[in-house]
Amino acid sequence: MKKAGKKKSKISTKIIYIFLSILAVVYLLPLVWVVYVSLKDDKTLFVSPWALPEKLMFENYSFAWTAGRLGVATLNSALVCGVTLILCLLVGSMAAFAIGRMRWKLSGVVMTYFLTGMMIPVHCILIPVFTRFSKMHLTNSQIGLILPYLTLSLPITIFIMTGFFQSLPNELFESACIDGCSIYRSFTHIALPLSKTGLFVTGLMTFVANWNELLLAMVFISDDSKKTLPVSLSKFVGPYNTNYSQMFAAIVIAIIPTIIVYCMFSNQIVEGLTAGAVKG
Amino acid sequence: MDKFLRDKKAIIIFIAPAFLLFTFVLFIPICQSVYYSFCEYNALTDPKFIGFENYRQLFTIDRTMKIALKNSLFFLIFSVVTQLIAGLILAALLTNIKKGRDFFKNVYYLPCVLSSAALGLLWMFVFTPKLGINQILAQFGIEGPLWLMDTKGFIILPMWVIASVSLWQYVGQSMMLYMAQISGISGSLYEASYIDGCTKAQSFRYITLPLIRPMVATAMSLNAIGSLKFFDLIFNMTEGGPNHMTDVLATHLYQQGFKYFKYGYASAIGTILLIMCLIVTFIINKFVKVENYEM
Amino acid sequence: MKKKVLSVLLSTAMAASMLAGCGGSDTPAAPAADNGGSQDTASSEADGNAEAPAASEGVEEITWMFWDDLNATEDLISIGYKDTVERFNKDYEGKYHVNVVTTNLEEYYPKLNALVAAGETPDCFIVSPGPNLDVYVDPGVAADLTDYLKADGWMDTFNGGEGAFSQQTYDGKIYAVPLNIAAACVFYNTEMFEAAGITTMPTDWQGMLDACEKLQGAGYTPITISAGTAWCLSMLAGYLCDSEGVDLAAIDGGNASWLDANVVNATNKLVEISKYFQPTAAGDTNDVATANFYNEEAAMLIQGSWTIAQINGANPDFESKCGVFAFPGTDGRVIAKSDSIAMSAKTAHPDAVIAFMKYFTDDTAQKYTAEVGGKIPVTTVEYDASKAPAQLAYVMDVFGNAKSTFGFYNESMATTEAGAFFDDTMVSIYLGTPVEDGLASLEDFYKNNVWNK
Repeated sequence: MKKAGKKKSKISTKIIYIFLSILAVVYLLPLVWVVYVSLKDDKTLFVSPWALPEKLMFENYSFAWTAGRLGVATLNSALVCGVTLILCLLVGSMAAFAIGRMRWKLSGVVMTYFLTGMMIPVHCILIPVFTRFSKMHLTNSQIGLILPYLTLSLPITIFIMTGFFQSLPNELFESACIDGCSIYRSFTHIALPLSKTGLFVTGLMTFVANWNELLLAMVFISDDSKKTLPVSLSKFVGPYNTNYSQMFAAIVIAIIPTIIVYCMFSNQIVEGLTAGAVKG
Repeated sequence: MDKFLRDKKAIIIFIAPAFLLFTFVLFIPICQSVYYSFCEYNALTDPKFIGFENYRQLFTIDRTMKIALKNSLFFLIFSVVTQLIAGLILAALLTNIKKGRDFFKNVYYLPCVLSSAALGLLWMFVFTPKLGINQILAQFGIEGPLWLMDTKGFIILPMWVIASVSLWQYVGQSMMLYMAQISGISGSLYEASYIDGCTKAQSFRYITLPLIRPMVATAMSLNAIGSLKFFDLIFNMTEGGPNHMTDVLATHLYQQGFKYFKYGYASAIGTILLIMCLIVTFIINKFVKVENYEM
Repeated sequence: MKKKVLSVLLSTAMAASMLAGCGGSDTPAAPAADNGGSQDTASSEADGNAEAPAASEGVEEITWMFWDDLNATEDLISIGYKDTVERFNKDYEGKYHVNVVTTNLEEYYPKLNALVAAGETPDCFIVSPGPNLDVYVDPGVAADLTDYLKADGWMDTFNGGEGAFSQQTYDGKIYAVPLNIAAACVFYNTEMFEAAGITTMPTDWQGMLDACEKLQGAGYTPITISAGTAWCLSMLAGYLCDSEGVDLAAIDGGNASWLDANVVNATNKLVEISKYFQPTAAGDTNDVATANFYNEEAAMLIQGSWTIAQINGANPDFESKCGVFAFPGTDGRVIAKSDSIAMSAKTAHPDAVIAFMKYFTDDTAQKYTAEVGGKIPVTTVEYDASKAPAQLAYVMDVFGNAKSTFGFYNESMATTEAGAFFDDTMVSIYLGTPVEDGLASLEDFYKNNVWNK
């Protein structure tokens, strides 16, 4: 009886694995295809899209790299997203700490206020923000891009970090208070270190979102030397025709860092999500 | 202790930067945009107040708006339902296997971190009849449909295609959230249930589901808002075409605001979008009861 | 304790900068934030777009906005523009300098409008004539260029003098300078036509249908087109409407209707000829449709002459097989489109901008346009026809024999949205919407958005 059950579960495990594997192929195949197209030239692409390339066109990559100025663009993206990330974690967790841990009447209202930010399509605020920033001479500068990125990342950061801070045991803060530790110190020395995983998850989420953002970057930045990566990718779309294979090469270049970072940290992401969820 | 946590000065210092940023960069522009929704404003001339005229046009004579509303609602329902089901199934399957769990999990989550603009382009390519999937189907003698151009039916084929692609891209997010919640459930609960003779399916139904309910609400709200604001994939796959049949509110807003510079009109669409987001979030939180930030 | 100070500092600094920024909305800039030192010249306020690095050296910096990246592009016309920019910057070194702001075509107008709305209009910008240009002329964003053109015989270098500016003229004033002309023609595969036994090119509608029939009989796909790309189908629809005598001005003025018999006839013709499209027409992008032609999978391509460069670039062997004829049955009328350049009415450096514009229409640039770019020059420049692509000569013939020209249909209507609506309607009719329903929706759109204004 017991054996039969085990056998059955073995079969079902096999089915599960087959299902998961097929799904994994569905996930990976398109990405493999991007790499594949990026190594063809436009001519053969239209004649025989699926045939193996006769000659691997690594030139596509060098062209994409130089013509798209992807090196500068990557640096710009890293700068803008990195600064945004740090500021966002700092400013966001400060607010989250006040909302999640401290006692005041309006905390619920303020939280709702921040959460409405998640519901705003960015197109709605583009013109007002752009006009205002241009009067402040903030357009066409990295700061002008960092400020809206930072602000748009705040709601989700506050949302997640509030949950984290609430999950910390009360006793910690009680004893800190008794020891004469200031509220600021208990934030920097107790709350923040204990929420590392939460910071990590929100950091990653905001970083990814900003790394891929196109519209604001397109409108706010005019200088070629300040353009970010997604804007540079769109350079390959011409008015009447598109250099598909070179654009795909650029896409590969652009997503490789994301994939590497992702593979390096993917386990932490799950840990972070788990830790955040445990609070229940 | 109480005084310690009620330090007004500290609260202000903690909240101020986020509050000020939020107010100046987001809230005031939103208010401006709501005001513009009552104006005739093309972004090149000064706004002129016209009352509810934009809204009247939207709801009485704008055909695209009807399609966009229909598509947005379809998209909302489709993604909330499918992400919930598929996310839960994947999470349940993955928590039950040992070997390769990390691998599968990482693979399914991968598209979430990639640019949806780039992925949209890729999928557009895949569904182009001369280049993509139809060429493979042709090898088997099957004539593939016009994936992104077919206009028959109430919900047209391209909408199903785009909705499926978005499921493909974002289901990893829901899966991760559910997995995280499931792995937080104490193992002893399951052991107890097996001793009582529960099957795996039963313990999933009676232990896992009730315990992950708060996360269901969170994930559903995120999905719902995300799907209403959905833009990148559609814009890159069909641009709302053919003949606006795949437009959703966000793409309609973009076209009216940035292609035809009817900025006031676009703001009206944006306001409606905002109201819909608020309503949907309210409904989800009402019916899938959740304690988000209550201690 | 240090951390406490830090957080206090941070939040006060934030508050201060935000408040300063807010207050600064009607004064130039918060003084503390000023680092360039270029505030003393009033001009930097008006064109604060590119932060002029060398204002003190007396170099006048101007910006030009364009819809294709000059480094990454493969479009030969764009590459020509790049040369022009480089020549200008070299020749005027120390006096003028132009900075180019580029986006792709999709985001071009959104970005340009955001800049205009914010008072940062680029000194000069490229624009399509028609309703796209109207948008900038009406509120006074674009400057009147008539005097500059007439001042030193610049206008006389243009082919046709003042007539070259008909699409850019409003109330007798010229608001943009055309840089080149593209004409929409029928490109055809001479070998396929021969094999199908077609000896004379069709000159009327019946001839066109007969040719398609013969080609199909010989086993060829008669026409390749991207029917899903609205503007491609719209070119064909535009020709058909014009040949039926549809008068857009009359329709815009409310004196004719989209439900008139001539529009219905034209649309029926579109449905009639769509039988001869390649089977994947609805899903093919313009790139694919063009590739079908130069890869010899279809006999005809109805396109603007910019496609010459694309065809010859992708398949050089095809140049000798590619013929061109005017779209039949149009009574000598040809669709023409020009890229034009407009100047901001608020520019602080009009002389630099005009000098820059002249570089686009000088002999070097115009020769390039014909010999390499494959577009029709706007000036009377002499170019070496043997260097130019073979097809250009045919296009020039078509253009030269034309009795008159008219603009792209979607760019000749009351608004850009009306043009797009027309395009979309044609696509939906091709995809199966009954002609009457499609035209009725177009009529409705005009009732609600054009005629009541």
